Amino acid sequence: MESIFNFNRLLAAIVLFLLTPILASADEYRATNGLQVFYDFSDTGRSVIKDRSGAAGPIDLKIEDPNTVQYRNGRLQIIKPSIIRSEKPPTRLIDAVRVSGEISIEAWIEAKDTKQDGPARIVTLSKNSNERNFTLGQDGDKVEVRLRTNKTSTNGIPSVVAPGKSLTTKLTHVVYTRQQDGKARIYQDSKQVVEKHVAGDFSNWDKSLKLSLADEHSQGRSWLGTLHLIAIYDRALSAEEVTQNFTAGATGKPSPELIAERKRRVAAQHFETAVAPLLAKRCLECHDSAIHESGLDLSTQVAAFKGGENGKVIVPGAAAKSPLWASVESDSMPHERDPLTSAEKGALKKWIEDGAVWTLNQIDPAIYVHGSENQNWVQRLTVDEYIQTVRTTVDVDIEKEAREILPRDLRADGFSNTAYNLNVDFKHVNAYAKLAEIIVSRMDVEPFVKRFSKRRKFTDDDMGEVVEKLGKWVLRGPISDREVIAYRGITTTVASASGDFEEAMGYVIEAMLQSPRFIYRVERQQGSGESIPATDYELASRLSYIVWGSSPDEKLMEAADEGNLNVEKEVGRLLKDPRAVQQSQRFISDWLNLGRMNNLQPNARRFPQWNDQLASDMREETLAFFEEVVWKQNKSLSSLLNSPVTFASPQLAKFYGLSAADGVTEVVQFDLSDIPGRGGLLTQGSVLTVGGDDASMVTRGLLVMHELLRGVVNDPPPCVDTTPVPTKAGLTQRSIAMERIANASCGGCHSKFEPLAFGLEKFNGIGAYHEQDEHGNKLRDDGEMLFPGSAEPVKFNSTGELMNLLAKSERVSQSLTWKVTQFALGRPLVAEDAATVDKIHASATDNGGTWPALMTAIVTSDLVRNTRTHVSDE
Amino acid sequence: MTIHIPRRTALKGLGGIAISLPLLEEMTASAAMTAAAKEVAKDVPVRAFNVFFGLGIPAPLQTEGFDGVMEPLKPLQDKLLIMRGVDHVRADESGINAHFDGASAAFTAEPPDGEAKAGGPSIDQVVRQTHYATGLPKGMVSTLNAGTFFRRSRVSRYVHSYNSDGTVAATMQERPREVFDRVFGSLALSGDDKDARRRRIKRSVLDSVVDQYRFYTGEQSPLSAASRTRVADHLERIREFEQRAFEMKDSPKGTAALPPRSKLAHGGAADPGGQGIDMPLEDLRTEWRLLADLYALAVQTDRVRFGALTFLAAGERLRIKGDYKYDGRLIYSFDDAKDLNASGDAGCSHEWWHKFNEKKKNEQLRAHAHMKLQEVAYFLGKLADKDSVEANGKTILENSMITVSTESGDGRHNDVKRELSGVFHAISGANGRFKTGQIQDVNSEGIDVYNTMLTAMGAKKPLGPKDRDFQSVDSIRV
Repeated sequence: MESIFNFNRLLAAIVLFLLTPILASADEYRATNGLQVFYDFSDTGRSVIKDRSGAAGPIDLKIEDPNTVQYRNGRLQIIKPSIIRSEKPPTRLIDAVRVSGEISIEAWIEAKDTKQDGPARIVTLSKNSNERNFTLGQDGDKVEVRLRTNKTSTNGIPSVVAPGKSLTTKLTHVVYTRQQDGKARIYQDSKQVVEKHVAGDFSNWDKSLKLSLADEHSQGRSWLGTLHLIAIYDRALSAEEVTQNFTAGATGKPSPELIAERKRRVAAQHFETAVAPLLAKRCLECHDSAIHESGLDLSTQVAAFKGGENGKVIVPGAAAKSPLWASVESDSMPHERDPLTSAEKGALKKWIEDGAVWTLNQIDPAIYVHGSENQNWVQRLTVDEYIQTVRTTVDVDIEKEAREILPRDLRADGFSNTAYNLNVDFKHVNAYAKLAEIIVSRMDVEPFVKRFSKRRKFTDDDMGEVVEKLGKWVLRGPISDREVIAYRGITTTVASASGDFEEAMGYVIEAMLQSPRFIYRVERQQGSGESIPATDYELASRLSYIVWGSSPDEKLMEAADEGNLNVEKEVGRLLKDPRAVQQSQRFISDWLNLGRMNNLQPNARRFPQWNDQLASDMREETLAFFEEVVWKQNKSLSSLLNSPVTFASPQLAKFYGLSAADGVTEVVQFDLSDIPGRGGLLTQGSVLTVGGDDASMVTRGLLVMHELLRGVVNDPPPCVDTTPVPTKAGLTQRSIAMERIANASCGGCHSKFEPLAFGLEKFNGIGAYHEQDEHGNKLRDDGEMLFPGSAEPVKFNSTGELMNLLAKSERVSQSLTWKVTQFALGRPLVAEDAATVDKIHASATDNGGTWPALMTAIVTSDLVRNTRTHVSDE
Repeated sequence: MTIHIPRRTALKGLGGIAISLPLLEEMTASAAMTAAAKEVAKDVPVRAFNVFFGLGIPAPLQTEGFDGVMEPLKPLQDKLLIMRGVDHVRADESGINAHFDGASAAFTAEPPDGEAKAGGPSIDQVVRQTHYATGLPKGMVSTLNAGTFFRRSRVSRYVHSYNSDGTVAATMQERPREVFDRVFGSLALSGDDKDARRRRIKRSVLDSVVDQYRFYTGEQSPLSAASRTRVADHLERIREFEQRAFEMKDSPKGTAALPPRSKLAHGGAADPGGQGIDMPLEDLRTEWRLLADLYALAVQTDRVRFGALTFLAAGERLRIKGDYKYDGRLIYSFDDAKDLNASGDAGCSHEWWHKFNEKKKNEQLRAHAHMKLQEVAYFLGKLADKDSVEANGKTILENSMITVSTESGDGRHNDVKRELSGVFHAISGANGRFKTGQIQDVNSEGIDVYNTMLTAMGAKKPLGPKDRDFQSVDSIRV
């Protein structure tokens, strides 16, 4: 299968973007996606105002009486009541807005005075004083916007009104946005001045209305003042885009400062999105701070520009004089690896030619492993989430059946909740249908439905209300008229088959339980490519799935209904619920892949002590240890590495050599303060068994490197014999590892991770502690390790010292933040997430680095509050 | 395009329909069919069907005879009795317009009993109970309710066969392939109505699920391209599931494919909150005629003896567009939304009934009513063609009690009496029991007309309240 993180394709796209003229037109300084109408009034003296949106079929406006207006350098002053309108209904605009369910109306205006009211029409799509699709107007000293939906009057009432005295006669930038979920905002001079919910959709927009400026179509609501710019979009601009348009100014043309700032941003973006990942992926394997082949370290600005043993390698502004470019262009670098693609070469050359702008302290290869941009896959509920969601939604325990018939979720990038890997098989569809039937059969349908509505006739009104309210709960947010109609179809079918209300509702719930909005966490993902704020309902779901692994409870939904979901407050409440503990245990179980313990089959001759119960006890040990450290002791996640405590059954205690009190038959807590070697996650059987029967230092070392240090190593070069070398008398795993480290072909990478396992040498393949191996070789637990990004190795003299080093390491702490954040988001983190994850980590650390602190930091971060949208490719 | 279902002996279907020989051989060779065949040989079976069409023929237009909107019935006039002046005012429910109570009164003469029940049995079921009190011959479809309709907010808008307790006599089949499955599928042969009903509802559930997934893969989906690919995968699996679960899973060996999947809106999409839908005339007629062909075939093959067929629901809301021709001449070019200069429900043909005015031409209403009667006549004609001739030398139409009616005698809601009076009725001869070849001004209550018909059919229990005096309408009886 082709990797979904196609680095070269991404790079090619970035280079293509960057190679286009960047300062060519004013459009690049304003948001243009979704632009339907654009008037800049540069039509001096003409009676037709041209629509310069660039959209096919321009919606030009005609000035009926030129004597009522004056053109003034790209502005249109309305000096008398005027008739300025489109000759035909702007069908393109109306259709686009009806389809998207969103709109933005932008105007740069200077009002003649603050007494005009009505509201005085500034820009309007309407017929008369009672019928409109929208109107942006002035009502005294404030802006008022009326927008028609199927839930408002035909006059667009209730309207959205800015606060009193917010509008003056000065030049003002006014933007009204209305999202599909009903959230409507007015911004003035890039500041939001009001937010309100405007319910409904645009299905009832009148297609016969015409677009007018400065007065109602039927006249009598004239506006006087100066229009500088009018724009209408078929989507809600984000706050960032509103600021972008404000910054671009009333003429839509950029200032020199803006041009310079953009140039700087473009250069920084090129380095961060194209060059840094390229260096990380193709150069740092040999030229990082640890290896610095030929004395060249390309991981930091200072080191990179200092050069290597042969002098400087980068000459800003002159690729031809830069040895770095020469070696890459001639394919002599990277050494013994594939040459750079032409897109990669182009990106590197452009970077040097443009001055080699460097904006990062240090290039961390870990953040580029999964590409630069999140692809935004819709998340299917995992089996665990499905079970929990059913429980929360309809109070039915479906765990047994769900685990039996739903296919298992497969791991990808370290977790089994990775959205892109949550595929759907025929078995899923079949299982969802069967489970829905079972769930409904266990429900007391009528009382359940009564929670939402007491109406029960088969009429449109009654059924519509019941379905709408029921659907909002089951599907975790308001449902559209389209959905009501679809579910209503089921009730009519049941009615026409002589069924009763309860039967009809049972089938409706059955359908809802199979619908995409139940099976998936459906959110709005399309947009301009920018980040948009998640709706309150989306936030409610994100919050509950992240903290609980389940759907929102009634309180969260109520908060979303009221439009005032306070994430900080709610997360505190959610963390006090037992479901938060269960969800944290799902994390540790998934992260360490504890499920594999059920399938381990060590060689019975070498490990006669092994049995299924011991495997199960090891799994339980880790879960109990995690709960003790994280919840009962409320320690930082880093403490998991060295907390001197564990939990063992009598059998496991004996296996570990721990003394249990006589007569104990259950799992009990042990203090490990005086037990050599034991203490912390890495010394538990559930983790140590990852090395296989031979206690592979490669596997254990890579586990520490990948999971705790987020180190990056490439695959072995071709033709290298990777067959494990068996130990024998005089040859321990450590001495075999040392041979690999000394080997010229292998040592570059193996020196980074195998020493990480040296401290675990005394634990055999199934986690038993020994001072010597099966051949009588004496084992050691001392060594030295290299933290990624550091050139200086750190020594440790025992397993305990290694664990303390890891527990105190900022890199480990940061890595735990990355792992938990990845699990919370259900996707691998990409380069564009890095800055936000750093903030999350800082916030969590400031609050003790505990699970609750980290959860709070995650759900209050931009990664959860916002959605990175994607531009439709259609 | 017209898709024609040929007679049982010409089994190669058109338009994707093929009812294979082995199926019919199985049917005719079965014990059930043998019993039915024996009965036919002895005498023609008793049958009763209700044919409903929405919105009605205003009473004043009925006075024009076959020169007006009733022209399409003219070729069948010798086999029909047209009854004018049939009154359903007693079925009026306060605060409810005739789309609901008038439609409920059709064939029951009773007001509705709640949203999903009729006030009493329909006449076809009374006849059924009278003649087959212990059940129909084994394997026969006990009652077939089918129709092409869209408005569905209340059951009696489109269902027109009810049990004695007012419940629906059979699950409504609204797609041609449902009728095919119900009549010719093995489920029908098993006689397991309960299972068929469940499958019908389950299919409806799955339809709504498919609709949802389709939305999230379509143009208005809020999802990213990657997510839409995932949902599209899911949809593909659901289609596989649908195929395995429903399509011909239980069909007899040797049976060919189902009729083509319906192209018209069904379920919730057919009635978006009473706002109406756009409807090309050709599409409407194509599906209706396919359904009517299948229904007629079910009767001709003696698989069905009782039930109801609906052509457009009461208060139907369609914005019909297309040229309507009859007998080679253009009657009218329909474009309701344009003619009404309105969108949504206000742009539907329904409005022509509200705008009816005796003093005006009512051009659009006339054209629509004419079209409806042509489609009703299409079905009746199927039962009167040479393939429908029975052992007694008469056609099925002549031998059966087939009642054609509608919801109101005037589309204006401002006068209950006017609205529920003069409701169009036509009946067939029922094997010599009723007069035909006439247009009669019966000027009677519907309940008396129906009870007269039932009496002629041998029924002992009349419709309506026990203490009501029955006024027999003898003029319709032979």
